Amino acid sequence: MATHAKIAQQLARQLFRMSIVDGALSAERVGGVIAWVEKQNPANPVMVLKAYHRLVAAEVAKGVAIVEHAGAIDDAVLAAIASSMSGRYGRKVTATARPNPQLLAGIRVHVGDDVYESSIAGQLAALESAV
Amino acid sequence: MSTALEQIEQEIAKLSSKAVKKNTGNIRTVADGVAKIDGLSDVMYNEMVQFPGGAIGIALNLEEDEVGCVVLGDVSQLKEGDEVTTTGKLLSVPVGKALLGRTVDALGKPIDGKGPIDSKETYPVEKIAPGIIVRKSVSQPLFTGIMAIDSMIPIGRGQRELIIGDRGTGKTTITIDTIINQAKINKVGLASGDKNFRPVYSIYVAVGQKQSNIVRTISALDEAGALEFTIVVAAPAADNPANQYLAPYSGAAMGEWFMENGMDALIVYDDLSKHAVAYRQISLILKRPSGREAYPGDVFYLHSRLLERAARLDGKGSLTALPIIETLAGDVSAYIPTNVISITDGQIFLETDLFNQGIRPAVSVGLSVSRVGSAAQIKATKQVGGKLKGELAQFRELAAFAQFGSDLDAKTKSQLDRGGRIVELFKQPAFAPLPIELQVAVLFAMQKGFFESVDLKKVVDAAASLKSFFTTRKDALLAEIRTKAALDKDLEAKLQAACDEWKPTYTG
Repeated sequence: MATHAKIAQQLARQLFRMSIVDGALSAERVGGVIAWVEKQNPANPVMVLKAYHRLVAAEVAKGVAIVEHAGAIDDAVLAAIASSMSGRYGRKVTATARPNPQLLAGIRVHVGDDVYESSIAGQLAALESAV
Repeated sequence: MSTALEQIEQEIAKLSSKAVKKNTGNIRTVADGVAKIDGLSDVMYNEMVQFPGGAIGIALNLEEDEVGCVVLGDVSQLKEGDEVTTTGKLLSVPVGKALLGRTVDALGKPIDGKGPIDSKETYPVEKIAPGIIVRKSVSQPLFTGIMAIDSMIPIGRGQRELIIGDRGTGKTTITIDTIINQAKINKVGLASGDKNFRPVYSIYVAVGQKQSNIVRTISALDEAGALEFTIVVAAPAADNPANQYLAPYSGAAMGEWFMENGMDALIVYDDLSKHAVAYRQISLILKRPSGREAYPGDVFYLHSRLLERAARLDGKGSLTALPIIETLAGDVSAYIPTNVISITDGQIFLETDLFNQGIRPAVSVGLSVSRVGSAAQIKATKQVGGKLKGELAQFRELAAFAQFGSDLDAKTKSQLDRGGRIVELFKQPAFAPLPIELQVAVLFAMQKGFFESVDLKKVVDAAASLKSFFTTRKDALLAEIRTKAALDKDLEAKLQAACDEWKPTYTG
């Protein structure tokens, strides 16, 4: 079982590397990979596709700044965040708003694995762990 | 003025609204104290990560698309998908004198019910060992209080001396005796007001031991009044393997604080066999490739990086390490024993046969060695016990040979007789370390033949009588030996006179 998972993981990584064109994920290549999996039916296709999905999702998340906000947020702020993040990561990053009243006030921005915390809830949590 | 205030307020507002960057991941699987995490792309090797609910973990496996972490804390609260955050910090433990007299876990948290520890500083658990420039050769003795060791296998401050033997041969007892002896020396030294006196603080690290054994050890230290100079780091068998893996490094960090701050410390790792087993368990769960006896490839480095942290530093203090290894059926050529033997500066080998014969401590003189040698001995011990190891080794050889024949020449008989007396003289009860000056007095009496007329079976009794005589009636002489640390003609004459005075009092 462990070996199957390992082989599926390796194949998914290979397919993922093939899906990158000029440092960015190519939708056309992703389509090609899915077609190849359907046609060739490699061993454990579900495992391969799940692993591939995880890698692609992680890559997609690097290009999207999810902006969680407690109050209202206007497009200018989102545009400013998108521009700032694009500059910081050296690639195109788009911003998407997601309301989250649990933040109390302020915003929290997710880009891939990175989280930029500027909310009251986050500050309270930091204070709680520091005490 | 108002502009200045506005500026400050603006700065406060700017700072309080400044975004804090965190790197996060999500738990993919969690089992057996190990979590596999997606994300954490910025995590560093050995970095501390924060799990929900206050549990922390250490990143040990950095793979292409996942991170393997050992979880220190309650794993049962964690579930798939939980967010994990990097902290940017290496795991640190509290250090300092506030820990003396306390029992802590692998993370330095008190577990003795005596309240919180007021520690001002923390030290990283993993630290690179001191380099060659800052080190100084070992030349100051660290007295164990065990005559067989102090006279034949001397240990110096900053040395790493392995204590190896089968189960139930008295390995832990030797280390507890050593800790108790340090406490006794500390009390005498600190009471004397000598400005040059350097106390030795002890750290006892219990890895994978039964809780009852740890309690017994703490009680023994407490009863002997040694706990006030000792830190106990406990990662018992019931603790998770991650804590058992970390405990020796935490203890080393606490010891390093003393060393770095110009003090001397002694650390006991009890024991590194169980430590290696805990690390093997973690490594197997992390799916690291296994090698000989299923240990991972870096099991040598596991112990070498730990023991290399014991050193004597130039212009600072020292950290002496007494690691313990438990062998199976006396097999010192097994994987972990050979590894640790090669790392340390000598070993004290304890034999089951000797132990069962009533020779306790059951030190095998032939297999035990201290690579520091007599550099870590005071001159007085060298003068009275310099040839003991050779004599005893010769005795063992002759005793084995003598089993096959009864017709022995007078010289052999005398050597056997003398050897037998030395063996008897080295018998010592547990938790009763002898001060070095008393050891010198006993060995002097032996060298001068004061025990030759005593029946072999009564040597232990005669030695006890001599010790009692010296402690009760020759206190000044013992103090003189302690301060001079060498026997000059005057001191030898006084010792001779004292032994002459004792001899008629012992009627046997």
